[in-house]
Amino acid sequence: MENKNLFQNLYLKQFNESNAIAYNERFVSGSSDYNFQLLDNAYRNAGRTYAKLKIAIETNNCMSEDCALELTGIKNLEESPQASLDFLSSLIAELGVTEESSFDPNNNYKYTAANSLMNGRPGFSKTDGYQAYLDLLPDGSQQIVFLGPAFETPLVINSAALNALLESDTALVVSTPDINKDMLRLLTEVGLFAQEMISENGELASGAKISEEYVMMNPDGSFDYEIIDLGKGKGRNVLKYNLEKIEKKVTPFINAEVAGLMSSEQDVIAAWNVYISKDTSVEEDAQMAQNANAGDTSWIYELDLPLQQDKKVLFETKYKEYFMNNYLKQFTTNQLPTVKEDAAVFDLSEAKKAKAQKFLDDNDLN
Amino acid sequence: MAIGAIIGGVASIAGGLFGSSAAKRRAREAAREKRRLQKKLTELEDSRQEIINPYEGVQDLSSMISNPFANLSVATGAAEMKVEQADISLANTLDTLRATGASAGGATALAQAALQSKKGVAASIEMQEKQNEDKRAAGEKQKQQALMSEQQRLQQADVAGESFVFNQRENREMQQLDRVASQLGASRQAQAQAQSDQTGAITGMFGSLAGIAGGIAGRQ
Repeated sequence: MENKNLFQNLYLKQFNESNAIAYNERFVSGSSDYNFQLLDNAYRNAGRTYAKLKIAIETNNCMSEDCALELTGIKNLEESPQASLDFLSSLIAELGVTEESSFDPNNNYKYTAANSLMNGRPGFSKTDGYQAYLDLLPDGSQQIVFLGPAFETPLVINSAALNALLESDTALVVSTPDINKDMLRLLTEVGLFAQEMISENGELASGAKISEEYVMMNPDGSFDYEIIDLGKGKGRNVLKYNLEKIEKKVTPFINAEVAGLMSSEQDVIAAWNVYISKDTSVEEDAQMAQNANAGDTSWIYELDLPLQQDKKVLFETKYKEYFMNNYLKQFTTNQLPTVKEDAAVFDLSEAKKAKAQKFLDDNDLN
Repeated sequence: MAIGAIIGGVASIAGGLFGSSAAKRRAREAAREKRRLQKKLTELEDSRQEIINPYEGVQDLSSMISNPFANLSVATGAAEMKVEQADISLANTLDTLRATGASAGGATALAQAALQSKKGVAASIEMQEKQNEDKRAAGEKQKQQALMSEQQRLQQADVAGESFVFNQRENREMQQLDRVASQLGASRQAQAQAQSDQTGAITGMFGSLAGIAGGIAGRQ
């Protein structure tokens, strides 16, 4: 099944970022009308309505018993300017998520189009066929309606619905967690690095090394190095790590990190779609290749929430792999010895012979 | 400016709206971070290893302590043999005396010698019994001392174990409290700052807002 959100969002992103419209002569030669005038239009008749209600109450000509409806109408109108500002600012905040570099294109593409309109992006003017209205509804709530070529069907957002969503700590548009930041912080929390390897700002210091207790040792207490071939008969030692011990140490911390993410399951879907599923980075996503993010293995907000247990388990497994491969691996591969004499480049055949002899000695095999 | 035209109203409204929306997003981010940290902390607390009392396996070894001298027997075999030999020797001597026609005085002297020998045997047994009794008492004293030491060892292990568990738990809980206090404090601060920014932006819009409200009232 074609993932329409994915396709449309990537297209809109590309459209906005490529500046393609600047090379469209028809666009450049014509004028663009952005006078949506949301507030002016919404309040155009508000004064008249307010006056009618006031007069009805004062002259005792109310339509409802005890003027209940009229009084409610007046109250709603008096509160509506502030409500409009609250509504619009919440809406702009939500739509702004579509501009984040790690935005998940599986979000509803109409929000990306609406954001382009609200920010007056080229190609989203009235002249280009777009329209937007803010309506004051009789129940005191307000709604905004977006129409135009990118919407297909109108996008309608009600202020009461949006408020309810935000009050319950959820979102209209899902902001992808900053996995890179989370994992860099996680590196300092998993207990593999000594405290002095962590700088004041909580990040790993440059040249940080995993503590020696996770390095493989020989029975005599010396380091058990791996020899790497540098070519031309030369080699050098690199540290060997006890990966099993490392995994055991980091797993509870990774699980806790995932549990934290699970406090907001839509965030988990965003992280899955943008990073975890196919082991990709934001940079790769920015290349606009549809298969650079989850693509056909995407989880769909409308279908996959709440998350089933099997998806939660899969996420945890892949999250751990992502951390181990993209963040931890660099500290367990090609690490030079901490003992200065062992770090020198040496003759490879001699070293291999010495290592074999040491094995025989250590195991009484001579 | 396009954004002003899109929103409408007086120009400052659009700027205020965008300022306020940015603050709202920051407040939401901070709230989300706070929620995430709390869940993470709970998970860390739930999944941590149970603190093991390293002294828990210390066993009471009192039952293995016994008095090795408790049941010492008196070696009577040699004494019995000695008595038998004395009796045989006496009988043989009496036979010789009878055959040689020796006087009754000699027999009496012999009987006394035999009696003396038996007295010596009895004294030897008595001495052995006395020695055994002494050893038993010394053994009992050692046993009591050993039992007392074992109970003291157990008590010390209990106290050391309790103290270890308490200290470990105290350390862990303090670390966690410090951590959560620090992280949650930071996210609360971020949330408060964002809310304050939001208020600032909204306050800035009120002049414009008054314009709209004034417009409504003016058209009454």
